[in-house]
Amino acid sequence: MEVIIQSLFDGALMGCIYALIALGLSLIFGVMNVVNFAHGNFVMLSMYFSFWVASLWGIDAVLTPLITFPLLFIIGMLVYYGIIDRTLKEHYTIQIAVTVGLMTFLGAITQLAWQSRPRALSYSFIQGSIQFGGYTIALSRLISAVISLIIIIGISFFLSKTWPGRAIRATSDDSDAASLMGVDFRKTYALAFGLGSSLTAISGGLLMTFQQVDPTMGLRFGLLSWCILALAGLGSIPGLLISGLIIGIGESLAMSFLGSQS
Amino acid sequence: MLSEQILKTSKLTKRFGNLIAVNQVDLEIKKEEIIGLIGPNGAGKTTFFNLITGLETPDEGQVIFKGTNVTTMSPHTICKLGMSRTFQVAKSFTEMSVEEAIRVGAYNRRGEEEVQNKVDWALEFFELEDIRDNKCSDLGLSSLRKVEVARAAATEPELLLLDEVGAGLTAAELLKLMSELKKLNQETKITLCVVEHVMQMVMGLCERIFVLDAGELIAEGIPSEISNNQRVIEAYLGRRSYSESSSTG
Amino acid sequence: MNHKKNQNLENLLLLFFLIIALVAPLIFGSNQYNMLLVTTVLIYGVMATSWNIIGGLAGQVDLASFAYLGLGAFTSGTLLIRFNFTPWIGMILGGLVAVAFALLIGIPLFRFRIKEVWYALTTCALVEILKVIFNMWEEIGGPVERYLPYFSGSLYHMRFGSYVPYYYLILGMLVIALLVNSRISRSKLGFYLKALGEDEAAAEVLGVNTRACKLRALVYYSFLIGVTGAIYANIYGFIHPSFFNGQESIKIAILGIVGGRGITYGPLLAALLLVGTQELLRASLGAEVSGLYLVVYSVILILVVLFKPKGIATFFQYRNKKPAKQEVKKKNVV
Repeated sequence: MEVIIQSLFDGALMGCIYALIALGLSLIFGVMNVVNFAHGNFVMLSMYFSFWVASLWGIDAVLTPLITFPLLFIIGMLVYYGIIDRTLKEHYTIQIAVTVGLMTFLGAITQLAWQSRPRALSYSFIQGSIQFGGYTIALSRLISAVISLIIIIGISFFLSKTWPGRAIRATSDDSDAASLMGVDFRKTYALAFGLGSSLTAISGGLLMTFQQVDPTMGLRFGLLSWCILALAGLGSIPGLLISGLIIGIGESLAMSFLGSQS
Repeated sequence: MLSEQILKTSKLTKRFGNLIAVNQVDLEIKKEEIIGLIGPNGAGKTTFFNLITGLETPDEGQVIFKGTNVTTMSPHTICKLGMSRTFQVAKSFTEMSVEEAIRVGAYNRRGEEEVQNKVDWALEFFELEDIRDNKCSDLGLSSLRKVEVARAAATEPELLLLDEVGAGLTAAELLKLMSELKKLNQETKITLCVVEHVMQMVMGLCERIFVLDAGELIAEGIPSEISNNQRVIEAYLGRRSYSESSSTG
Repeated sequence: MNHKKNQNLENLLLLFFLIIALVAPLIFGSNQYNMLLVTTVLIYGVMATSWNIIGGLAGQVDLASFAYLGLGAFTSGTLLIRFNFTPWIGMILGGLVAVAFALLIGIPLFRFRIKEVWYALTTCALVEILKVIFNMWEEIGGPVERYLPYFSGSLYHMRFGSYVPYYYLILGMLVIALLVNSRISRSKLGFYLKALGEDEAAAEVLGVNTRACKLRALVYYSFLIGVTGAIYANIYGFIHPSFFNGQESIKIAILGIVGGRGITYGPLLAALLLVGTQELLRASLGAEVSGLYLVVYSVILILVVLFKPKGIATFFQYRNKKPAKQEVKKKNVV
């Protein structure tokens, strides 16, 4: 019983982070109907970048998003304009194919650059744990979860209150009508893709405070994000959060009972 | 025989959130008729077509086709029963040739031995023989429209629904299409239901006309009755005054 | 009739290839390493050609080919190991097991309004899930390789001392896969699949039962892969959960798309070029090349998709320019 409740806590905290990852994907899929198979690999790439930046300049993992966020944003925009934009008019298998290709590419180059052995950062100032009613909660997970929630709420505001945010929402509803209102849908798509990708930088940095990264993780994050999206449906951020929690808790429980097989 | 009912909808309703696209529509079409369905933009005509062909499920009401309740049937089953349609935004098979596209329709009732005959019939009937090998993506507008009609006609339907096939055609192309449709109705006894904005086509082709406005059926009758119907005129006012087109149509 | 000219050229090329393929063992026969190499290339050719049925003709991006391969391998292999059951029948059963799993995902996901992407994602997940299951399933799978009984030349057990007989088996599968592709594309099913790939709604109202058609394509594809899986097990002499390889499944899809979706010999062409080159490089540069080659695969996919989305096989096809011009002329007359 104690194991279950501990798993519940751990899972819920992870769920918040997963929800943030899924949010990035939701932005991309919801706005331009592009299935980004490479999203999980973007997360993994962010984690590697965080590892690299942190090792190179000795800064804490938590601070790495300051650098990786703009980096991933630029990469996202480049990917959009270079690749995605051209496939918008093509058959849907082409769209799927191109992001599958991107996923494979990212997986392959991270493997080449960092090899198969897992990489981890040794210390973060948010390490340590606290006790809560007899259960142990890792501080890094707690703070990561809180930061994820803050970002999710922040994005929520961005989408409803700011012009670019509302442009994104309008374009996802009806790109023709939106363009009549002065919204350049291609710029909006690029923004959504860039934003969706750069959000992974934040989750990546947070994850590096307590996890390690290896080249196979991309697939795991990708599948998790899609499960969350499938459960939540599109357009609802609270729904995303709830699905994230469910998936996070589910994964945690499964790991406790089945061992770390998957 | 001639006055036998082929399609009947009762209280057909479809909502999209707060918008009522089709509102309690009761409509009856008899065999071998040529029916017109008109109304201002957004009146719900295409949604109505979607409902009776099974592409959408109504929230209320029923669709009875040839005596069978087809309300929840899938589109391909309804096609097998004898109903086919064209689309407002031409859904052509861009990578296929004209002949191949028609062949898809012809397979509905024909096996491998006879299908070519049906394809040849359609090509000849709609005068598409010269362009039979052209890719659908290379076609001009009027040919594209004819291919859409030919494709649907090749399924050997008893009821053929045409969604704005006249839009964008020149006067000459329009006349040609109208005569072909009349011929289709007379020779093959297919019942036609035509959604149109081009009044010339509606008035010249249809025996009876239904008028939709904001999802509701507001008028029904023969062309001369409809063109003088006050409610119909009011429905169109502000977009294009109907009295203007009646003098040319 | 450019179509006819096209077909004759393609058939000629294919015939040429098959003749070379038939005599290849006479050249390589003695060198077992090279035999395995060409057999491997052909295996990818069979899988990619089979993939074409679901991915090219039916337009569903399937990322689970190695799931079906593994299922075929494990079915036939386990029957052989435990019950001394001949793989000649075992492979048929392997195919059927693969079909069963395929239908498990296909039946719910091929319903009319469900987006294709969910199928792609689920197949991606299927391979991984099966790998985990077979890893944990101690009786049948488990983490250690299970070896098939060794015979230097037993027809009953389908075990041979040289790779040459296996090579011909795979070549046979390739011919079957090509024939199945060819027959389907020319048949009613082929037209229906093409139509639904273009526009599902339009196809439906023309009488196409889109779901049934996709399921039929899925059955053909998974069965062929399952049977190949049984042969695969016999070639390598063991069965192991690593057969359920997601990465390689994606590669098969890449071959299918790069080669030319829907073109019968397209995926085979891609397999010969890409896998052939990869294996040759591996022979000279060692196993390191796999990681690097994956980069090459993905870059080629992206480039082909962006610049020649119909696939590299289209380099061999004629363009139909003349008839279109006639059409324009007619319009001016009117």
